Amino acid sequence: MSFVVAKDLCRTFDLSEPWIVRKLTMQPKRLLKAVDHVNFEIERGTTYALVGESGSGKSTIANMVVGLMQPSAGSITIDGQNLGNASMNRQEQQRLRRRIQMVFQSPYASLNPRWKVGDILSEPMRAFNLIDGATAQRRRVAELLEQVGMSETDAGKFPHEFSGGQRQRISIARALASQPEVIICDEPTSALDVSVQAQVLNLLKSLQQDFGLTYLFITHDLAVVSTMANKIGVLNQGVLVEEQATVDLFSKPQQDYTKMLLSAAPKIEFSS
Amino acid sequence: MTETLLELKGLEVTFKTRRGTLKAVDDLSLSIKKGEILGIVGESGAGKSMTGAAIIGLIDPPGRVSAGEVWFEQERVDAHPERLRGRQISMVFQDPLTSLNPLRTVGDQLIETILVHMNVSKSEAVQRARDGLAEVGIDPDRLNAYPHAFSGGMRQRVVVALALATEPKLVIADEPTTALDVSVQAQVLDLLKKLCRERGTSVMLITHDMGVIAQTSDRIAVMYAGRLAEIGSTREVLTNPQHPYTQGLMASTPSVDAKSFGKTLFQIPGSMPKLDALPNGCAFNPRCNQVHERCRTERPPLMSDRAACWLMETAS
Repeated sequence: MSFVVAKDLCRTFDLSEPWIVRKLTMQPKRLLKAVDHVNFEIERGTTYALVGESGSGKSTIANMVVGLMQPSAGSITIDGQNLGNASMNRQEQQRLRRRIQMVFQSPYASLNPRWKVGDILSEPMRAFNLIDGATAQRRRVAELLEQVGMSETDAGKFPHEFSGGQRQRISIARALASQPEVIICDEPTSALDVSVQAQVLNLLKSLQQDFGLTYLFITHDLAVVSTMANKIGVLNQGVLVEEQATVDLFSKPQQDYTKMLLSAAPKIEFSS
Repeated sequence: MTETLLELKGLEVTFKTRRGTLKAVDDLSLSIKKGEILGIVGESGAGKSMTGAAIIGLIDPPGRVSAGEVWFEQERVDAHPERLRGRQISMVFQDPLTSLNPLRTVGDQLIETILVHMNVSKSEAVQRARDGLAEVGIDPDRLNAYPHAFSGGMRQRVVVALALATEPKLVIADEPTTALDVSVQAQVLDLLKKLCRERGTSVMLITHDMGVIAQTSDRIAVMYAGRLAEIGSTREVLTNPQHPYTQGLMASTPSVDAKSFGKTLFQIPGSMPKLDALPNGCAFNPRCNQVHERCRTERPPLMSDRAACWLMETAS
């Protein structure tokens, strides 16, 4: 069985007017199906990319996989354990959550500006009771910073002292702090410049090789995942319309929607 | 159509701060011909938006245009850029959500723009507003709709209609498609290109996306740390980039290509220097993979009207 399995995943949002208004104006309930029976499987140590335009439900899926949102129907299992299993006690839930981490889109909004980098990175260790003692935590923080290509002395600085690319490295280090097995990357480079984007993508890839990480990559840009995704799923309005290995998807897309996405992506090649 | 429309000569935009005077745009010279689409590409902090803002006089204090000249149709205009703004030169901003007034209908905004800048009657302004909307592919009967009733792509098309309503000679488009989805981005770019070609309007397209530039512009100017790194026709710059920064920028852009799977992207080490900590000589020298002694001490001028790099000299 695959490492991460999403089965018949659904999520609806209730956009209805308040009950009393509905009754008075005789309106029915209005439900938005953000994610509609989505199935996918991710093998351990590989990268799965969900690609779609805004409103396609890709971030909703990310939030459900990481546990920030409950699915309306369907299930997510990680290493055979059901994420939404109500019979699990708090400790078991926490143990499962430790294994899933997230890197958010904007490194400007996802780091607490009042915390030093060292505190940001040691928070997961404290939250999951992984490492006791200030010295041991400091040593681990230094190790993490080194793994993402930064220096030990950066632990004493605040997020505002860093550029966007460096901040995203800190976000990645924070995700690594609890030694997760799955990392969900929600548009991790869309707030970054091209030259820095390449650095961050290469870093994510080398970390995957070093630690055997499994990635769920959420993006609107097919080009971003071209070098690292093993498999790509294309989402359109909450429905997974096509799923193929990256090489096949680029060379022989099956659905019209995928073809449209591929042809709309700006290419550098000069064509007159 | 080889007549020059806009010419910048040694443009310099500076900001006075506690840490000293920062040059956001440093000795920039370039020109745009009539009917031409010039793409300005660079990463954040390269000074590309500042260049656009300087031309139409939209730089807020403490920033100011401290040196250089702006020539528009053989006239020097940098003393009173507001005379051109709106009528001769119009602007398309990045985010259509914030550049349209949410409290007024799009028709109101179009008609107001036309009435302010053009000498026409109210009824003719209404007619022009309807035509403008029709041209960008929006039903003219939606004149009375508010911006929130439109999707992001439609809103940006309204902004394009707004920019073209006064029949300007130059449109400055500052990241016009960054907030849009790729499929909508392609539509808006095609539209902007088509309308400007039809009317012979020049466009200054400011973006960080090499792909967008490649598909839209006739010529490309690459900026780095407030300075011009390379300029040339789109074909020349893309097929044979001279400046190591342009080469790196292109190599590090991922592409939709079945062959790229499993490969490592080329990366330029480091990041763009802060404006208060620019290195001596060429601003790109700490990140350059072909750096030599001279780059660290002397700033290269634009050579052969193409690239500001000492390598150009050794090559010729």
